Amino acid sequence: MDVTGVLNQVFVGLSRTVILFIVSSGLSLILGVLRIPNVAHGSLYMIGAFMAFTLSKLFGGGDMGFWMALIGAPLAVALISLVAERGIFQYLYEREHLMLILLTFAFSLVFGDLVKIVWGGEYKSVPVPYMFQGFIPLIGGLPFPLYNLFLLVCGPIIAILLWLLVNKTKIGKIARAAAVDMEMVGAVGINVSWVFASVFVIGCLLAGLGGVLVAPTVSVTLGMDHTLIIEAFLIVIMGGLGNIWGALLGALIFGLSQSLGILIWPQFGIIFPYLAVVIVLIFRPTGLLKATW
Amino acid sequence: MRRSVLFVVFMVFVMGLVWSQSGYSANTIKVGIVDTYSGPATTYTQDALDGFKLATEQINAKGGILGKKLEYTTRDEKFKPDIGLAMAKELVLKEKVDILAGTINSGTALAVSDFAKKEKMPFFVFYSKSEKIIGEKGHKYVFNMNENTEMAGRAAAVALSKKPYVKYWIAGDDYEYGHAIADATWNNLKKMKAGVQLLGQSWWKVGEADFTPYITQILAAKPDFIIVATGGSGMVNFQKAAKATGLVQKIPFYQHTANELGTLLPQGKDAPEGVWGTSNYFFYYPETPANKAFVDDFRKAFNRYPKASALVGFMTAQFIAEGYKKAGKIDNEAFIKAIEGMSLDSPVGPLAIRACDHQLELPTYWGVTKKDPKYDFLISGDIQVIAPKDYMPTCQDVLKLRK
Amino acid sequence: MATGILNIKGRIWWIVALVVLCLVPFVLPRFYVYLLSIILLFGLFAMSNNFPLGFGGIYQLHHAVFYGVGAYGTALVITKSGLSPWIAFIVGPLIAAFLGLVMGIICIRLSKLYFGMLQISLGSLVWAVVYRWYSFTGGDDGIHGISVPDIISSYKGAYYFTLIVTGISLYVLYRLLKSPYGSVLQGIRDNPVRSSMIGVNVKKHQLLALVIAGFFAGVAGTLFVVVDNTVFPDMMFWTLSLEAVIMCLLGGWLTFLGPMLGAALIVIIRTFVSTYTLYWALVLGIIFTLVIFFLPNGVLGWIEDAVKRKPNLAEAKE
Repeated sequence: MDVTGVLNQVFVGLSRTVILFIVSSGLSLILGVLRIPNVAHGSLYMIGAFMAFTLSKLFGGGDMGFWMALIGAPLAVALISLVAERGIFQYLYEREHLMLILLTFAFSLVFGDLVKIVWGGEYKSVPVPYMFQGFIPLIGGLPFPLYNLFLLVCGPIIAILLWLLVNKTKIGKIARAAAVDMEMVGAVGINVSWVFASVFVIGCLLAGLGGVLVAPTVSVTLGMDHTLIIEAFLIVIMGGLGNIWGALLGALIFGLSQSLGILIWPQFGIIFPYLAVVIVLIFRPTGLLKATW
Repeated sequence: MRRSVLFVVFMVFVMGLVWSQSGYSANTIKVGIVDTYSGPATTYTQDALDGFKLATEQINAKGGILGKKLEYTTRDEKFKPDIGLAMAKELVLKEKVDILAGTINSGTALAVSDFAKKEKMPFFVFYSKSEKIIGEKGHKYVFNMNENTEMAGRAAAVALSKKPYVKYWIAGDDYEYGHAIADATWNNLKKMKAGVQLLGQSWWKVGEADFTPYITQILAAKPDFIIVATGGSGMVNFQKAAKATGLVQKIPFYQHTANELGTLLPQGKDAPEGVWGTSNYFFYYPETPANKAFVDDFRKAFNRYPKASALVGFMTAQFIAEGYKKAGKIDNEAFIKAIEGMSLDSPVGPLAIRACDHQLELPTYWGVTKKDPKYDFLISGDIQVIAPKDYMPTCQDVLKLRK
Repeated sequence: MATGILNIKGRIWWIVALVVLCLVPFVLPRFYVYLLSIILLFGLFAMSNNFPLGFGGIYQLHHAVFYGVGAYGTALVITKSGLSPWIAFIVGPLIAAFLGLVMGIICIRLSKLYFGMLQISLGSLVWAVVYRWYSFTGGDDGIHGISVPDIISSYKGAYYFTLIVTGISLYVLYRLLKSPYGSVLQGIRDNPVRSSMIGVNVKKHQLLALVIAGFFAGVAGTLFVVVDNTVFPDMMFWTLSLEAVIMCLLGGWLTFLGPMLGAALIVIIRTFVSTYTLYWALVLGIIFTLVIFFLPNGVLGWIEDAVKRKPNLAEAKE
């Protein structure tokens, strides 16, 4: 494989990394602060993508539709998650992790069928916005889609915003403190329950955002949550629980090993990301960066 | 106490489920349909079911079969062979259906087929494409109502052998279906046209979202033509990528069912023009009264255009009805004898079930995607009909696979 | 102990249950015989999952790999080697146990969620290989129409074979739990630090639990081949693993027979709800949610608590 081929694969791996990072940073946030291994996170990503379909269609399918979807769909997902958190999760923070995994798995079953009821079983397609149709030539004249370029811009922006949110805002500081010692934060008179709710909603909003951003590049289908959620969990564990930069690093490793693995051994290309996780966990059992647990 | 109440209610619910009896009256012929009604496959399975439903209503309106009504019941196997098999067993052993049908999932089709053979129960495969169903694993009780990968590949090879292309590239979804389609196309093309070369292959995982790397690789190799072996949602994903990267203007490519409604409808007007494909049915072709009547009925009932799988469901119900009528009694062995070699009028002209291997003899339509002002999605243009006799494997070939 | 349902008084119930189960095929229609076979083998699968999970406190989150590998081992020996199926029935579980050992050695250094996640990655590796290796495993289509000896190929035959094998397996699992090894294992679950302080080799005990669990999951997989004559890669996909864990929790993961009950409930609900509605996953999801909310110790755990009152509750939680 020549240099351009490898380079191109790297760029593609990076576009995939962006989606993986956005979704898994949300998962990581929820895991790190609330300690909920939210299997239903993937379902929210799927709902985000379906919402994007509906909204983009509602606003005429063009650029307008895409921007409205980009704003509206994550908010809709956030609303759903707010209801779920206030209605159910807030009563379960003290439960065993295993129970929470299963409860959220049960949720993913319910969400899956609800999506089927609302949107039907057929797959949907979200058009690439006009302004991002077409491609730019990369080194060697090979085409790189503009939309992927847009994704590559989105990734760092979201990473920085998240970092600012966690490190520079009051709610971020409280959340970090609550992750370490919940009683202490409660004792100084802060309403921990609402802090947790906010963190949960922000995490889920990221899942929805990931769903919207991925929608134009794939066909939106039921079951798109299944592959993603397991990848997101592995990324979070690999990067270090609750660590945003860890999620970024994990997503990078996962995305790149997937796209480069295909060059090495096409038939078994899909095993490389898993292999990467195994190697990382053997040498760094608690992940690459510092976990909040 | 609240818990014990909940528990008791729960157990009563469970026991009620177990002992409930089916609501079938004795004077019916029951068809049990196991298929995937969730996930991307629904695009095809729902039409197969609705086609079946439409034919059932028409048959019953005309007095049913031998004085009995045709009924059906469905089970959603969620694309899982173990659940599909368990459901087929439930339909036969508990629900006491007379005939099994369904499955888009080849794994389920093969598992259910094996069960049908043991139970001596006729089984009509709707939309699984595995050649093994009537080939290697074929038997007296299984019928294939759609094309299989070997047939699709041969049909494509027939069309491609008349084209000037020499240097080919193969790419596709890396699973059984993808490889089978690609192998069938390529092996037959090699036989039909001397001098074709294969420059290389690329395979991606099923559900791959990003095709850019593969497309770049292919562009760099500069083939004359690409055989793209994708299935399900991969069809749409690849077409989107081919448009986004400009591949479609640079190198022509072929996908089985590329020009079929199931692939083109979800993309609306955004689908790429100029993609070659094969399909076994179009609602707009042939423009015969029979096809028009079918499309009108289907649209009246379901408010949408029928896809290729709708024809499969529609014809399956009719073959079941006519088979029993010809047999003159409700008996599986007599039914199979009656249906072998039977030919019925269909929206696409007369269709026959081949006696030797139980394959429905379908015409294949080769064509290229194009926009049409009449519809807000793309349709197939330049339609070329490939008749069954020109592309179907011979009885000898098929029976050889059964050893 | 947490296995309270199996005390001496309970032995009579055991015998009654066994007699009933032996007579069932003469009374019930074929479908229910088939359903019972499925329940028994899924029950064994769930119970083998619960061995490290409920009694060892290990996050065995990807148990389906061992089930699937056992089934594939058996299927491949039957279809490819020409050896007697009876030999295949032993080879399958042994391969699963070996995989349990290898994966155990790699994962055992980690604890809790990290253990589970590493196991899921390794399991996904195995799944990917089976899914892709068309020439050997049949790829995503799987292997169908696997022939088994005539004596166990009928519904009744397969049922009795499943019943006998499951019965023996449960007895062995039960003896293991009651043995000194079982006590140490549960001691490790309740207090790993204390256990290692008093000189117990924690990792070695846990590793053995993983091998045992792998073996019996392989037995369950083999039984699936006997009952349904088919294997496919979904058998080792992670969703099935979560279903197994749900079976444990639904039935009661601190009880011996709980997972069997959980398996029975899930199979029954799935089979019969699906005859009414295409949305059976929705119903299943709602039931799980209710059980987790209201019966945190599972159905059997709740019955035991209710029957034995406080003392047993305290004991079970200890």
